[in-house]
Amino acid sequence: MEAEKLLVMQNIQKSFNDVQVLKSVDLDINVGEVHALMGENGAGKSTLIKILTGVYPKDGGKIIYLGKEREINSRKDAANLGIGVIYQDFSLIPTLSVVQNIMLGKEKNKFGFLESKKMEQHVINLIKEYGFDINPHAIVETLSIAKRQTVEILKALCEESSLIIMDEPTASLSAKESESLFEIINRLRDKGVSILYISHRLEEVFRLADRLTVLRDGRKEAVVEKGEINPPDVIRLMIGKQLSEATASNALKKSTNEVVLKLENLCKKGLFNNVSFEVHKGEILGIGGLVGAGRTEVLRCIYGADPYDSGNIVFEGEPLPNVVNKTIQKGFGLIPEDRRNQGFVPLLSIEKNIVLTNFDKTSKNGVMNAKKEKKLGQEAVKDLDIRPNNPLIPVGNLSGGNQQKAVLGKWLCRDLKVLLIDEPTAGIDIGAKDEIYKIIENLAKDGVAVILVSSDLQELLRVSTRIVVMRKGKVFKEFASGRITQEDILMAASGIQEKEA
Amino acid sequence: MVKRENKKKLNANFQKPLILLIVIIILTILQPSVFLTIDNFKGIMLSISIYGIMVCGTIFPILLGGIDLSVGATAAVSGACVVLTIIRFNYSTTGVILGILVGLAVGVGTGVIHGMIVANFKVPAFLITLATQNIIYGIAQLLTNNQVISCMKPKLFTFLGGGRLLGVPFSIYILIIIVITSYFVLNHTRLGRNIYAVGGNSEASDLSGINSKKIQLIAYAISGFTAALAGIVLASMNQQAIAKAAQGYENDVLTAIVVGGTSLMGGEGSLLGAVWGALLVGMIGNGLRLMGIPSTYHGVVKGIVIIIAVSADAYTRYKNSGLSKGKSTKRFARRANVENN
Amino acid sequence: MRQEKIRRLVSIALLLVLVIVFGTTSEYFFTTTNILTLLRECSVVGIISVGVSFIIITAGIDLSTGAIVGFTAMICANLLYYTNMPAQMIIVIALLIGTLAGYLNGILVTKLRLPDFIATLSTQFLFRGLALICAIRTSGVITNKVIDNRGILVMGGSISGLYLVTIVFIIVAVLGQIILKKTQLGVYTYATGANRKSAELSGIDTDKVKRSVFTITGFCCGIAAIFLMAKLGSVTPDTGTGLEFEVIAAVVVGGCAFSGGRGDIFGSVIGALFMAILSNGILKYNLPTATQLIVKGSVIVIMVVFDSLYNGYMEKKIREKSKELEELSGGEA
Repeated sequence: MEAEKLLVMQNIQKSFNDVQVLKSVDLDINVGEVHALMGENGAGKSTLIKILTGVYPKDGGKIIYLGKEREINSRKDAANLGIGVIYQDFSLIPTLSVVQNIMLGKEKNKFGFLESKKMEQHVINLIKEYGFDINPHAIVETLSIAKRQTVEILKALCEESSLIIMDEPTASLSAKESESLFEIINRLRDKGVSILYISHRLEEVFRLADRLTVLRDGRKEAVVEKGEINPPDVIRLMIGKQLSEATASNALKKSTNEVVLKLENLCKKGLFNNVSFEVHKGEILGIGGLVGAGRTEVLRCIYGADPYDSGNIVFEGEPLPNVVNKTIQKGFGLIPEDRRNQGFVPLLSIEKNIVLTNFDKTSKNGVMNAKKEKKLGQEAVKDLDIRPNNPLIPVGNLSGGNQQKAVLGKWLCRDLKVLLIDEPTAGIDIGAKDEIYKIIENLAKDGVAVILVSSDLQELLRVSTRIVVMRKGKVFKEFASGRITQEDILMAASGIQEKEA
Repeated sequence: MVKRENKKKLNANFQKPLILLIVIIILTILQPSVFLTIDNFKGIMLSISIYGIMVCGTIFPILLGGIDLSVGATAAVSGACVVLTIIRFNYSTTGVILGILVGLAVGVGTGVIHGMIVANFKVPAFLITLATQNIIYGIAQLLTNNQVISCMKPKLFTFLGGGRLLGVPFSIYILIIIVITSYFVLNHTRLGRNIYAVGGNSEASDLSGINSKKIQLIAYAISGFTAALAGIVLASMNQQAIAKAAQGYENDVLTAIVVGGTSLMGGEGSLLGAVWGALLVGMIGNGLRLMGIPSTYHGVVKGIVIIIAVSADAYTRYKNSGLSKGKSTKRFARRANVENN
Repeated sequence: MRQEKIRRLVSIALLLVLVIVFGTTSEYFFTTTNILTLLRECSVVGIISVGVSFIIITAGIDLSTGAIVGFTAMICANLLYYTNMPAQMIIVIALLIGTLAGYLNGILVTKLRLPDFIATLSTQFLFRGLALICAIRTSGVITNKVIDNRGILVMGGSISGLYLVTIVFIIVAVLGQIILKKTQLGVYTYATGANRKSAELSGIDTDKVKRSVFTITGFCCGIAAIFLMAKLGSVTPDTGTGLEFEVIAAVVVGGCAFSGGRGDIFGSVIGALFMAILSNGILKYNLPTATQLIVKGSVIVIMVVFDSLYNGYMEKKIREKSKELEELSGGEA
């Protein structure tokens, strides 16, 4: 009964800047099994993987691989042990062939020359052995995303990996492509390769995995055999039962105010399809769903940052122009997902960042009014309680929470009608989170229509007055009234109907 | 932490005048009778005035993370345009005014072309402006027929570069006006704010409703404008047009801006720093000349100065990012780390 | 592969257009003498472009090649003037100086973290300045160094009409192509240029690759310096000025994209031929020399913009193709 252990991680701990991300995590993987790692955003999955692959050093705990305790200090150490990773953003060289990519870094040489024939044969054998369907001479950039993933898997196999880590491998695959990936995974398992499968998608996990480890809040919550559990229970484990019943529910109600913004059958090829919803004045509409469900893309299209293919966006009874500058003039604002790259200019001061969206107030005929700028900066620092409370400090030097407050500051002094918010508290500590929630709630009280995209269920429940769940580019379900729990949202996001639960 | 930063800033503020002072003292000690004379300083200012004017415009594309290597060639071509127009209009006042307008228009035009190519095609600015440098230089040769074209009148023209007002060369007044204008634009206008924002993070700027392509276009146009102005003043100073007039000036301009603390990555740097850099570079050049070191050595000195200035900037950046040690694989890991946090 | 093949056809088509235009308008064009001269003219640029192709494939640039050639030639001229060194020795020294100069570029780029173009722009001043300094005789006058060493001059000669420099160019190009396609360094060169992060993730020391390609270029500059000396018969402080520009033009015409990871030596050879025929034609039509500058500059601008558009277009097409596949498979059930 006792299966051979390939990897055992015991009591792994890790902190960043005094925040303990991993408190105590155990993970064990048998030889030749597909092991799923589950958990909400921020539960510590990716940190654990990064420790396992040598990207971060661990603070405490033991890693035992094939019966011996190991130190993994670099990516190379991990590769030498036989741990391969399939990266989400593909680490292939686009202009090289499949063979060259697979053999990259492990070329066979003879008298200084590459033994192309031998390497080719090696790769062809590998492809045959695992029964893949891929042309070894194709240039990678001409391959589809699914095929590129196959090349990544082959690359890992070529390193004689006995453990392959797959992080959300189906995120950018179509249904059919996912099917063939599942086939590949099953074949790998038959060959004795272990797979650590990380995914939010419950149906995939239940199809593939032999066992599941559930993480919550930096701790191992449970390890279960697939047969012993059903999807709703996994969700309950991920959320934590007591919590979900006690605090994390919220009474929703549909606002009766006038409709400010209306989306009608908005479509964008390959990203989202027939998205329709309405937002009322003074309402906070939460949009839930898994990463890749098309939520961010919808926000960007509303804002005018990206074009859409078909459908209508109606704002106060008129069609909304699809240009950033014009939507801003009409009273729109965006708090983008990727704060550092899209939210602010790191080298500029708080004051100057805030001015970026308020030139109409601080300049006349193109000449800046230093007094008004200063006033704007000081007001923002005071109203939002940005610390340190000096508007001349570069935003790049602030902590995450204060950076986000500065980004909010860009919009607060405007006559806002609609604020689009995308993952506002990712990587922000709890104290600052509360303050940001308060700011958002106050905005809604003042009559601003807020659309909030978040993967943090507690946040979604706490702030929203109405919730829409998106799944695979479509609006899957709307929660407009009554009490709702994290479970309800997660189940909708995973495509589980209530009857099953 | 804030305090330490303020202190650092204070130090940096003092650093620049201090270095300048040290250079002056050293040169005074080495050449006591010649260096510290009003005439010599006028000479320094005069030699700085041409590329100082260029610095004030070329800093715009550099603040955007781009570069303009064509300024020397642009100066030559606009100088040629002015002189040729003046001659065609028989040395009349109309000719001078028209010539200056044509010269400036040529400069702005080349800048707009640079801006359009760089903003729309995602191609490296240094390569495009290096290529256009050759094109413009070729045009200058065609215009002047590769000969020196003298133009010693009218007085309105020669006064620009050679005249004196209250004993001070007129070109220095032009330099001061340009410095003040450029300083005002960079620090007190919407355009200046946009330049720093786009240079620091063009994606965030676009999402804030700033049209970064338009800003690029304007920045290169400004660079072209000041290059043309410098070319006109130079032509007036030399009372002639020649294709080689400002050859290599782009290197002095680049050196001054880089030494002045402007980052080639964009978003960081100040006009006053660049002007300081121009003073320093001019003074060192003057000192080398006074000490009897032939101009043949100046290229070597310039090369080394640029290497030191840029590598100091790049290295502190690199060190601050925590990526300085270890093999490439480890560096990758750390880089990922830095980017994530 | 198709993308690269189409790009190759574009280079060849450009070359053919030139050949047809000049071939039909000038009787002289297709004579053996002219063809041999053309081959000779393209060779010095061609030899350097072999090295620079490596650099551009790693998404870098080298603006110092002309200055390295000038500096190397100047040192050799001085050695010939002041000493009685045999020609073989001079050749070895030339190669050594070129290689070291290239290595210096590599160090600046990888150790001091300078952007490629700034590093090589500064070394351009540096080497040009050093060449000037070396040109000064004790009297302080700058004079041309006339080469009278027969061992060196013989390098400018020909074997049954085919110039030695052309033969060496062919050898260097073939060797370069072999290194690029058949050795580990070649694969790493492509990998570094196309996706530096991924290359490092696969365990490649990309800094070492960078240093290697700059060193190779330096070596090529050393070879070029010898033949340029032999051809010109004298060395001035200006020797090799503007060469870097012609080399870059040749390489971009040949299909090495500045974004890195694309192109090969064969393309650069086509590019070098293209540039030589262009200069040759401009001279034949008695156009002013300034036209050369304008034409070369325009060639670079046009090719760089073309590559940027073309590669962007191909990328878009591939993306659309995979999207279509997705739709055929039905997407979500």
